[in-house]
Amino acid sequence: MDTSKPPATSAPPVEDERVWKAGRLEPMPIRKLPDAPPSVHILGPTVFLVALGVGMGESYMWPRLVLLFGPEIRWLFLIGVTLQAVVMLEMARYAMATGESIFSGAARVFKPLMWFFFIVAMAVYIWPGHLSAGAAALEQISGIPWMVTAVAGLILVGVIFSFAKVIYNLLENVLSLLIGALVIGTAVVAAMVGSWNDVVTTITGMFAFGYLPAEAMTAAWFPVIVGACAFAGPSGMQQMWYTLHLRASGAGMGAHIPKVHGLRHAGEEEAMPSRGFMFDTEDPAEMAKWKGWRRWVTFDALLLFWGITMLVTVSFTVIAQAAVRQNPGVRDVIQNEEREVALTAMADAVSSAGSSVLGVIFLGFIALIGLNATLGLFDSFSRGQADMTYNFVKGAKKLRMSHLYAGFLWGVIIFGILILLFGPADGPAGILDTLAFLSTFAMGAYCVTLLLVNNRMLPKPIRPRWWSNVIIGCGAVFYLGMLFYSLFAFGVVVG
Amino acid sequence: MIDRHSLELALPGASIGAVAGAMAGGLTLFAGVPTGLAALSALMLALPLGLFGGLYGVLLGRGVFRPGTFGPCGLYWMAAFPLSRLVQESVAGTGGLAGGAGGFLLYQAMVSLGFAIGFVWIHERLMPHWLLRVAPANPQAEALLGLYVHHAEALRARKGARR
Repeated sequence: MDTSKPPATSAPPVEDERVWKAGRLEPMPIRKLPDAPPSVHILGPTVFLVALGVGMGESYMWPRLVLLFGPEIRWLFLIGVTLQAVVMLEMARYAMATGESIFSGAARVFKPLMWFFFIVAMAVYIWPGHLSAGAAALEQISGIPWMVTAVAGLILVGVIFSFAKVIYNLLENVLSLLIGALVIGTAVVAAMVGSWNDVVTTITGMFAFGYLPAEAMTAAWFPVIVGACAFAGPSGMQQMWYTLHLRASGAGMGAHIPKVHGLRHAGEEEAMPSRGFMFDTEDPAEMAKWKGWRRWVTFDALLLFWGITMLVTVSFTVIAQAAVRQNPGVRDVIQNEEREVALTAMADAVSSAGSSVLGVIFLGFIALIGLNATLGLFDSFSRGQADMTYNFVKGAKKLRMSHLYAGFLWGVIIFGILILLFGPADGPAGILDTLAFLSTFAMGAYCVTLLLVNNRMLPKPIRPRWWSNVIIGCGAVFYLGMLFYSLFAFGVVVG
Repeated sequence: MIDRHSLELALPGASIGAVAGAMAGGLTLFAGVPTGLAALSALMLALPLGLFGGLYGVLLGRGVFRPGTFGPCGLYWMAAFPLSRLVQESVAGTGGLAGGAGGFLLYQAMVSLGFAIGFVWIHERLMPHWLLRVAPANPQAEALLGLYVHHAEALRARKGARR
């Protein structure tokens, strides 16, 4: 391995002086890899990825596509989510081996690459549009105007994160309960309203590889399908932020990095090191521990991430199919382009079929998903931007990470409130296409970044296997290929 | 013989099962069932799910399950969840069995894995807090709490490795 060892001195060194040189940035000192968790424990940072990932794609976009084009269209969903599970494992590889975020990894390869992601995050994620679906669903249930809920929610998020001692712990607890309720709820709803036949068609549909009806290949629908593929599981930059949560949870070498505190407890925060650490990949004992960590994260990726995402989508699809059986008119209504209108139509159809109970539960789930996404998104955005600013903006280290985090958090909250009150929530109409393009483009770009970072910045024994590289490479082709095909063949970005 | 100490361990799981069952029972209104029958349906699902949820806690205390592991719990619910639904459909049927018991049970077994993930997830969040409350007067709870504390200490030891 490419480590340098200083000449032996008479006095034994207190700490391991070896370093791992990765790129042109500061080398990483060699430290001990902590032991992997004693059992395959269910609780982990994947909760963030699930909270962010299970969103509009699962509850709305894919059920809608299934109703329009039939269950066979779901083969694209299977590819999308499986791809995301592999991306998750590869993101975790770098984060657990170094304790650095993937943004730092990108900077080690080529600094402008990291700044590209910094700018994309700023452009795409400062708009509070993602709040509107959940808040609108809450308005349907409670009658409280959605603007009031959205603004109150924004302020509440800021206050909670500012007063929390360790933000990660608080958020993991809250999101765990919310996701747990969502998972149990959707499982039970599906158990009550679905049938074996629904599942057979939904699951066999997932293996109808290559199925694309003529109507799907039109300027009206192909961009919608591209958008839905990008929203299968975590979309945009969510996977990159996952590396920060993995580090904050103390996974792998992340144990050597202090946690980010809330603003009120910023003074208690330890100084953040300017680079990560590496373990001795030539020591068999260390490699055994590494294998333990890989098993831990693989379990998270397969069961929690892949399993829950699949479960929620299958459940929502089954619910949508049940609604159409009861009221075939719903199929026409959900073709409506407006997300809120279509969601309300789905809830109404569900309600009118039997009683208002299921309609309320449906909207309740949408509100819950919106809340999860908002909590996760605001934290992740602030964490990511603060990480890049702290490590790569001159003079930023004079501040603590907590201050930068709070700065970005309150910045995006205040901007969000102003936009909700006075501007277009999704962003100015003129740049909507650009934002949608950037969000999907970032996914193709992070696949390329992952290949570069993991294959060039990590020691050989812990680099990805060839098949993993092939899948990530296919991911880049999948996202970028569909995006550019949509752009050039139909002149439309994503729907 | 299940004693008071075991019953205390059963409480978190029983609560999760019962709440989930009651919520699901409400959904029978979806099929346009009269309110009385819907209430019976809710009860008939809340009861077995609560019982099985509680039994999970008892078995956890006896070391049959390990805290936080999914595999055995998934298998457990794969049997318990379809059985609970079968009880519900048999007593307060809403037509779920119309397509045959085989397909019904197969479908419920599949959905049960999702239920198991949610169950373990929430159970792991509630159980340690509950154990902290009851451990002083309950040796079984104290022993189980010891397992959680051991896990937490292992996590802390990892962080202790920080420079």
